[in-house]
Amino acid sequence: MTSTSRSVPAASPSASALTPVFVRLKLSLLRNGLRQSGGRRAAYITSAVLVLLFAALQLIGLIALRGNAHAGTVAVLVVALMAIGWTVMPLFFPSGDETLDPTRLVMLPLRPRPLVGALLVASLVGIGPLFTLCLVLGAAITSAHGTGAALVAVVAVPLALLVCLALARAVAAANTRLLTSRKGRDLAVLSGLVIAVGMQFVNFGAQRLGDSGGLSALDPVARVVRWLPPASAIGAVDSAGEGAYGRAIAQLLLSIGALGLLLYAWQRSLVKLMTTPDGSTLAASDASRKESTGKGLTALLPEGRTGTVMLRTLRYAWRDPKTKAAWVTSLAVGLIVPVFNALQGNGTVYFACFATGMLGVQMYNQFGQDTSAFWMVLQTISSTRDAYLELRARALALLLVTLPYTLLVAAVTAGMLGDWAKLPEVIGLALSLLGAMLATGSVASATLAYSIPQDSRKNVAPGQGGIAALSIFGGMLSGAVLCAPMIALAIWLHVSGSHASLWLLLPLGAVYGALLCWAGLKVAAPRTAARLPEILSAVSSG
Amino acid sequence: MPDQAFEGTADTAGGARTAPPAVRVQGLWKRFGEQIAVAGIDLELPAGKFIGLVGPNGAGKTTTLSMVTGLLRPDQGTVEVAGHDVWQDPVAVKSRIGVLPEGLRLFERLSGRELLGYSGRLRGLPGAEVDKRASQLLDVLDLAGSQHKLVVDYSTGMRKKIGLAAALLHNPEVLFLDEPFEGVDPVSAQTIRGVLERYTASGATVVFSSHVMELVESLCDWVAVMAAGRIRAQGTLAEVRGDAPSLQNAFLELVGAGGRSTGDSLDWLGGGTR
Repeated sequence: MTSTSRSVPAASPSASALTPVFVRLKLSLLRNGLRQSGGRRAAYITSAVLVLLFAALQLIGLIALRGNAHAGTVAVLVVALMAIGWTVMPLFFPSGDETLDPTRLVMLPLRPRPLVGALLVASLVGIGPLFTLCLVLGAAITSAHGTGAALVAVVAVPLALLVCLALARAVAAANTRLLTSRKGRDLAVLSGLVIAVGMQFVNFGAQRLGDSGGLSALDPVARVVRWLPPASAIGAVDSAGEGAYGRAIAQLLLSIGALGLLLYAWQRSLVKLMTTPDGSTLAASDASRKESTGKGLTALLPEGRTGTVMLRTLRYAWRDPKTKAAWVTSLAVGLIVPVFNALQGNGTVYFACFATGMLGVQMYNQFGQDTSAFWMVLQTISSTRDAYLELRARALALLLVTLPYTLLVAAVTAGMLGDWAKLPEVIGLALSLLGAMLATGSVASATLAYSIPQDSRKNVAPGQGGIAALSIFGGMLSGAVLCAPMIALAIWLHVSGSHASLWLLLPLGAVYGALLCWAGLKVAAPRTAARLPEILSAVSSG
Repeated sequence: MPDQAFEGTADTAGGARTAPPAVRVQGLWKRFGEQIAVAGIDLELPAGKFIGLVGPNGAGKTTTLSMVTGLLRPDQGTVEVAGHDVWQDPVAVKSRIGVLPEGLRLFERLSGRELLGYSGRLRGLPGAEVDKRASQLLDVLDLAGSQHKLVVDYSTGMRKKIGLAAALLHNPEVLFLDEPFEGVDPVSAQTIRGVLERYTASGATVVFSSHVMELVESLCDWVAVMAAGRIRAQGTLAEVRGDAPSLQNAFLELVGAGGRSTGDSLDWLGGGTR
């Protein structure tokens, strides 16, 4: 930044003077980020190598596809996917690139037009743009046939890359207000979840695509997408290769027009951002919300600590982005695994237990989910009885969701497979598993608490990874061991041919699960009461 | 720097009061790895007073208050609050104290009103009583307008006020506040001050930490000075101030930071040379 402050006496600098400054700023930010720690450097280099390797493979793959009937389709769609990625990325990774945040430049005497130019050039620096360049280049090579197409490609490749970058910048600038507010940061925490669940659908979609005759299924989509910038730039290369020069020029012009529009929109939001106060104190829209839902729920819950803690736990599951992400992931994955397996015809009703297991994990590290606000709980626990009530209430809040959900998933899976006979035993096994998870979860909460950082995507504070792994894997292992008698009974009933008695697993499982849960709470309560300050310090480092 | 200690002040300053001291600390130690945060302190804080625990950053004020309120286990030493041992008799102590720690979160995804409702009910108060007290506290602390906003969206001053409300809700005998005025705007600070003064006037004890001497001087009638994990002085305001013109001077003298000036090293700094 020193070079700017030296060169700003009265007039604001021009674009040509500004561009090298911003490129150097970007490079120093990158370099200083790496200088902070060896681990960070190693992680960055590893990810850079992996990304570049992946990009090289894609490039080779795309070049190898040259001559294939569907090469044009793939090229256009790859670029379109890249553009979607660039559009969504700034919403989920707002802090990923500090130069993306124009509010940091507010105090500098800069005019918007040179600023936009300089920022655009600076954003070409990085792994992301390099990766995109590889893909766009590959897409152009695979669809370029003939000299005309090659000439068009020379324009199309940088054009497509610039549209992608301008897209990211325009989206980021337009949403800076949102991204720097609390709601925006909440959104960012939920992004991991969107990606996790999205992957399941992409995976499923790809399998379906493989079944239904390959790439030709995508041709109609490509016919539309090749008119959408920035994919239209690559579409132009293909069109030029086919000799349709009029179409090629129209497609190129579309991309150029889009770039112009994006730059204009970006400049407008920049001006607006830099001339109005910042949005960090953006008022929450729910300021006037009434407690209607709370009142209705409070009436149904028991009095005293039990109801109070249950209500707080359920409110947090809904309002706290970290807790919400964990819950929604468990609910979604717990349903997706048995249902998708059933859809593909290789499922069994037993997979319904997966949903129970996923939700049971929520009982682990209960106090870590409180963060350092656990001190408020600590101040009110003065006996083993208090600790027992606290843990039991948290288990009950979990049960309130998990119990009906287990029944639902089991019923849905059984219905899809048409295997209703297995339903009682599956529910019985699921209930004993649930009891075991709640039992081991409450013991792990008391003895192996760890911090969950609130402001990052991580779920374990640095240095506590070992405790977290021990807590969850040790807990799951001992949960499985605790369930073993029920599993053994189920196997024995099957092997010995006593299919008529299999329904017995349902009541047995329910009673066994309840007993396990009760015993677990009884074991955990005195440990919680005795270790309150230790738990507080364990959960406060996030 | 000699350690100044004023023995037996609880009796002389407390006047006719024969009740046990609000807080009695004996031989309290806390070590974090190599660093000794609290190095064997003895403290006796009289009941019914407005007590200031002052010291520079890193003096061990937060560590001491955490150990006194049961948030942190001491390595050694005993703490009694209103005659009950904090670590032996938590039932008696936890119902008698209110705490507003520094640097720890609240349940921020609850609204201000929900937080008070949660806190009061966890302490075993009947729901209707909690709601009544919460309404009054929200009114007095000027939070009624934002009572349905989530605490995560509160400003620093509002957070301190809602934390104070949660600490007062069960009408504790002794209130411990760690830096209650840090980062608080003057209007909120005045509100907090008013509530605390009314509370001590009724015979309750407030112990608060601060490094703003003017504030301590204007609020407290009893002061303990901490530096580098030790108590440098304790007693009434007049006793600790001694001959010094203000508590600030007495404090700088006690912690050995008096008379440090910038000298000539910043002689270029100032207007008119541009």
